[in-house]
Formats: sequence, structure tokens, C-alpha cells
Amino acid sequence: MKGSSFLLNTALKFSLPIDYDEVQLITDLAKQYTLKSEPSTTASMSLYDTFDWRLFNQNLTLYMSHNQLFLQKLANVTPLHQIEVLSPPVFVEDVTDNLLQERLRPLIKMRALLPLVNIRVIRTRYRILNRDEKTVARIVYETYTTTNDPDNTIPFLRQIWTEPIRGYNKAENRLTAHFETIGFKQTSPKQFYMSALEQVDKTPGDYSAKLNLHLRSDMTADEAIRIILQAQLVIIRHNEPYLAADIDTEFLHDFRVAIRRTRSALSQIKQVFPSEVTARFKKDFSYAGKLSNQLRDLDVYLLNEALYKNKLPPLLQKDIEPLFEHLRQKRKYALDTVVKGVQSARYQQILADWEDFLATDSTAIAVASGAANAQRLAHEMAQEQIYRQYRRIIRQGTRILATMQDEALHDLRLECKKLRYSIEFFTSLFPSKAISLLVKQLKLLQDNLGDFNDLCVQEIYLKDIAQELPITTAESRQVLLAIGSLIGTLYQEQRAVKSDFSEKFAAFSSPDNKQLFKQLFAQNKTKAVS
Amino acid sequence: MKTLAIYSNKGGVGKTATTVNLAYLAAQSGLSTLICDLDPQSSATYYFRIKPKLKAGHKGFIKGGKPIRSSIKGTDYDHLDLLPADFTHRNLDITFDRLKHSNKRLDRIIAPLKDDYDLIIFDCPPTINILAENIFNVADNLLVPLIPTVLSQRTHQQLIAFLKQKRYKLKRVNSFFSMVDRRKKMHLELMQTMSKELKGMLQTSIPYLSDVEKMGIAREPVPAFAPNSISAKAYQALWDELKPKIMS
Repeated sequence: MKGSSFLLNTALKFSLPIDYDEVQLITDLAKQYTLKSEPSTTASMSLYDTFDWRLFNQNLTLYMSHNQLFLQKLANVTPLHQIEVLSPPVFVEDVTDNLLQERLRPLIKMRALLPLVNIRVIRTRYRILNRDEKTVARIVYETYTTTNDPDNTIPFLRQIWTEPIRGYNKAENRLTAHFETIGFKQTSPKQFYMSALEQVDKTPGDYSAKLNLHLRSDMTADEAIRIILQAQLVIIRHNEPYLAADIDTEFLHDFRVAIRRTRSALSQIKQVFPSEVTARFKKDFSYAGKLSNQLRDLDVYLLNEALYKNKLPPLLQKDIEPLFEHLRQKRKYALDTVVKGVQSARYQQILADWEDFLATDSTAIAVASGAANAQRLAHEMAQEQIYRQYRRIIRQGTRILATMQDEALHDLRLECKKLRYSIEFFTSLFPSKAISLLVKQLKLLQDNLGDFNDLCVQEIYLKDIAQELPITTAESRQVLLAIGSLIGTLYQEQRAVKSDFSEKFAAFSSPDNKQLFKQLFAQNKTKAVS
Repeated sequence: MKTLAIYSNKGGVGKTATTVNLAYLAAQSGLSTLICDLDPQSSATYYFRIKPKLKAGHKGFIKGGKPIRSSIKGTDYDHLDLLPADFTHRNLDITFDRLKHSNKRLDRIIAPLKDDYDLIIFDCPPTINILAENIFNVADNLLVPLIPTVLSQRTHQQLIAFLKQKRYKLKRVNSFFSMVDRRKKMHLELMQTMSKELKGMLQTSIPYLSDVEKMGIAREPVPAFAPNSISAKAYQALWDELKPKIMS
């Protein structure tokens, strides 16, 4: 039994024009048919998605009505999944149905599902009777109102549709034809979705942490950098208000990535802004980034809790739990530090000054102060910068092959990250196919270096945290054993990852890749100013 | 899918009223339900204001499958469909008799509908011949309305003897008292003795009330046009008692 749940368009539904109301509709139909109305029923529904529209971006919508949860393609009229639930899920782990959970997992990952809009549906059914007073079809009239704002009582959509009755197709076809003749338009689930969100001033897809910049080849370096940095500022500001609510870990993650990109742009892109400006904000954003280092570390450990447990022999898997309990406690304080930090006068001043700086055209000042690259073409400067970074990676990597020093691998990781950011900033100035090939290669190398770094850091972190754990009982002593075992496993993995490096680097420094870098970034060289 | 036959080898015991009201209550409880009207008098079909005519006629019915599907009509109620009776159903006996596997024809006719419904209820004519055998073969359960009279008691004994002879499982036979007049001393006395003698007697009985007769005028199930009436409540109690027995 479906209860009083409401399903997004499952049939051919027509929307009523604004100037056509229910009374007019019924009067119209009564001229041709015998109608009998049934009592109206009310249902409610809520639509959900992640903050960064992960479902909408796949043309999907998740919605709940009564005790039913539906996943539906916005282009289709039949739901892909329908399950019974007690409450709306927040994380993918809360989805009780395995099939639906596995479908959602790769899409929403660690993100929380947020309610987008709540809708009230009032439904009145009219029976169409034949001469024997037998019902031969039903027409369903529905009005939809958003309930997010209690003052808003005007329906944003009114729909009518025919519910067929088995064995009486003629009546249904006649009604559908009638609606088409009056000029009613069919509504798709997507139209419904868009108009519902419009009611609450939401624009699907309006936030993404991805860099999706459109730079033009005739832009000066100054213009381009401002666009890049402005985009980062928007991401920082977008996520800031959600940090305290602690809805999911991605708000902080996106916030941090945007700060890191800002720092990277400030230190990599030379002589575009006045040097004292660059120096000041480099320092400021370094401070802003550090505020949340501890919280992010803890988030990563806690997100990977199951993974860590799986690395342990079954004998010790339960014993590690006090460690995660300890980390959860620590996280509360770390979150507090971040919330206070973001509210602090210093942080707010930094961001306000930065906003001001990006909003003011200071090209003239920059040029006057000797920022020699400000007026150059962004395209040229990007080429130089990327090629310089690439060659540095090749040099350093080649040296590592001989020595295999851990420290040098860490440095190389940072260089690769800088190159990655630079390529991402200026992607739109270069052929996209070639760029995605380069990024793919670079990513493989980065993954190797990143894994190596993570494993090294984790080993030390675990060793240090073991000192902090309160050891009072014999049981809690077991946790040290588990941590020791985990460090052992991590070390084995670290060695394996390290031995993979030469292969990954060889692929990245292959002649083909070298040629591609040269072609894209070393052509049309004009005099470089570095 | 489960199948239930409302059956009696005696006429005028309230079979059709039982079919219509129980099917309505089953559908209301969310079960996708089909009434299969086998009675050439087509009273169940009439109650739902549906024309007593099969699209593919007698031949189509015997064939089963697609012709059957296209003959099914939706009633005025959610989850409730009806396969209308046809006047030619009066010849079903003779036709079945001429065919191979003559006592399992109905089973074959209905088989394609198994995935469409949770419950199929047969409204049967009062016979105890080859059609009855078909009904016993197709139905997971029988529901037999009994009027507490001596004649009724006698016909029921005949039925039980017949079922025993044909080796049908008596466990599947449920009966209840129908058209009970509590003012009649004889009704009350017979109900007592019959309840002791007979196995599978349900606790609920349906009283003899004018609401049930008004169905013919209203052309609606009692719980639909008089939801608070005593009869509606009695049918609800009957359904509540029967449902776990036939749906598990």
C-alpha cells in the first residue's frame, strides 16, 4: 500500500495555463461528461540533493513522500527505485535498501543530502461516468505549493491528468485529446523540479568546487589572475557559513582547497600584483589555511575508519576502537577551533581586505610598482609558468630515481601539486583534449606521491597519538597493540608504493608526454620575465 | 497470487454479496484484486455497473490468455478489477467436459493473470459437476456461505462427501453463517449444532439485513455506500478473520 505518498509525474500530466482555473475546467468538462468529485486529499513531498548538486548533475532527483523514498531520472516518468523509509537519509549509509545505496554511493560519496524544497500537493479526483453511472475514467487535478515559506500559499503549478481504468481506453483517449485541444501543455518531471526550486530561489547546479573558468586568449595576466582568484573567493565564502553546522566533511574540504589554490596562485604567479600585496596575502592565507589543518586530518582518519579496521587482523579489529573514539573527541575541539577561527576578527579582516583588493582595479599601481607581468598576455605567462614547473619536476624526479630519498619524494609531491593547479587555472586557454591527457598522466604520478606521503604522515601520527591515549585498563592497553600492528601494515604499503614510483615517473616523463608539454607550453616563446 | 472461490452448491445463500463485499475490502486493504464472475446470471458484474459481456466470447474465455486480459474491466474502486460474466457461461460445463484435462481447464485459463493480481476471487454458480471440480482445482481456498437451515446443513454434508471422494483437502474449506436472523430460535439452535459438527467454521457471521439487499439499488459494495452500517462492519470482521487464513 503506497499510503498517501506522492509520486513525481508518472503519467502524461498537463499543466493548466495561468488564466484557467479549476472551476472553469470542471464547467468545461461538465458540458460533455457526467462528473462526480471525490474528497480532496493532501500529500507532502520533499526533494533532496547534495550541496554541490551531485544528483542533479546526473539528471537525477531523490524525493520523499509519506514513508516512501524515490530516486527518479528527471527525464523519465518511472522511478528507478522506491523504498519504504522511516526518515529521510542524510548520508548514503542511512539508505536502508542495498540496491539504492549502491546506486547512490558513487554519486554522493561522503556528502550529506540536504532538503531542497518542501511541497504540498492537494489532489482532487473526479470520476467520469457513463450512462450506467459506471466510472470509465478519472481525472486528477493537483495543485502544488511550496511550504518552505508559510506566507506563500499560491500554487506554483497546477496539473491535470487522466487516470485510466482498465478496459475503458476510449474514455481516457478522448479526455487526453480534449486537454490537448484546449491547449494544455504536457509537463515533464524536470519542469516540475525546476519550477519547484525556483520558488525557493534555488538554481540547480549553481555551486561546484570544480574550476570551471573561461579565460580568453586576449586577457592580460592581471585580468586572468583576478578571475581565477575571484572564483576561489566565491568558493571560500560559499562554504564558510556551513562549517559550524558540521553537516558533512566536504564543506571544509572545498573551503580548504580554495584557500590552497589561492595560496598557490599567489606564490606561483609572479610579478602580476604589487609585491607587497602578494607577500601580505601569502602570509594571510597561510594563516587561514592552518586554522583547519587539524580538523581536516581528523576528518580523513575518521572517514577512513572502516578502511583502517580492514587493514588489521580480525583479532585486533575491535581493539582499535578506542583510538577512533579518542579522535572523535579531539575532533570536537578541532571543530571549535575552526569555527572560532573563521569568526575571528583577524580572519574576517583578511577576507574583507582580499575582497576589496580583488574588486579594485590596481593594474596601474602594479605596473608602477614594477610588476612586470601584469600587462602581459595571460596565455604567454601561463605557458612559461607551466613549462618551468614541468621541467623542474623532470629534473627533481630524475634525481630521485638515483637516490630514492623520502624527503625528495615529498618535495616532488608539492611541485606536482603546483603544476596541477597551474594547469587547472589556465585550462581554458589550451586545447582541452591535450590538457586532459596531461592531467591524466600527472594524476597517476600525483596519486603515487600522495599515497606515499599519506602513509608516512599516518605512521608518525599514529605513533604520536599512541602517547596521548589514556591507558587505564587492560582492555585499553590492547589499543596500543592494534596501533602497532596498523603502523606495520602501513609501512608495508609505503614500501610498495615507493617501489612503484619509478614506473609512474617513467610514464610521466615519457618522450610522448615531453613532446606534448613542449608543444603546448614551449611554443611562441617571447622574452620571459621571471 | 492467491485464489479464493466463493462457492455453494445451494442457490440464494449470499455468494455474490459475499464476493462483492470481500473483494472490495481486499482491494481497500491494498491487495490488487480481481473478481472472476463465473455465474451466467452475472449478478456481481451487474453490481459494478459493468456490461456482462466478454470481449472474445465463450471461445475466447476457454482459450484464456490474451482474450481474457482484454476483457478485464476496472471497477470504480482502486485496486479492484472484474472479469465480467457472459451469458454463455451457462455452457461451461458442457464445453469443459468435451476437452482434455476437463477438470483443470479453469486453472489454465487463469494462469496468465497470476502476476497481475494478489488475489483472484471467483463468484461461482451453484453446481456440483465438472465446473465445480474446476473451481476446486483452481482455488487455493473455498469460502462457503451457510444459511442456518436444515436443508443448508444437508447440502453442506453432500459437498463435504463429494470433496472427500475427490480427495480435496478439507482444510481449504472455510464456511460462515450467512443471512442469519437472530430472532429465529431455529437459526440460533442450528448454528450451535453445526458449529460443533463442522470443521473450518469461521467465528464471524453475516446477519440478514436490508443493507445487503439495498446493494442491488445502490449498485455498490455495502462498505462503500453504507460504511458505518452493521452489515459493513460484519463484512469487515469476516474479511479480517479470513485474510490471514487465505493470504499466508
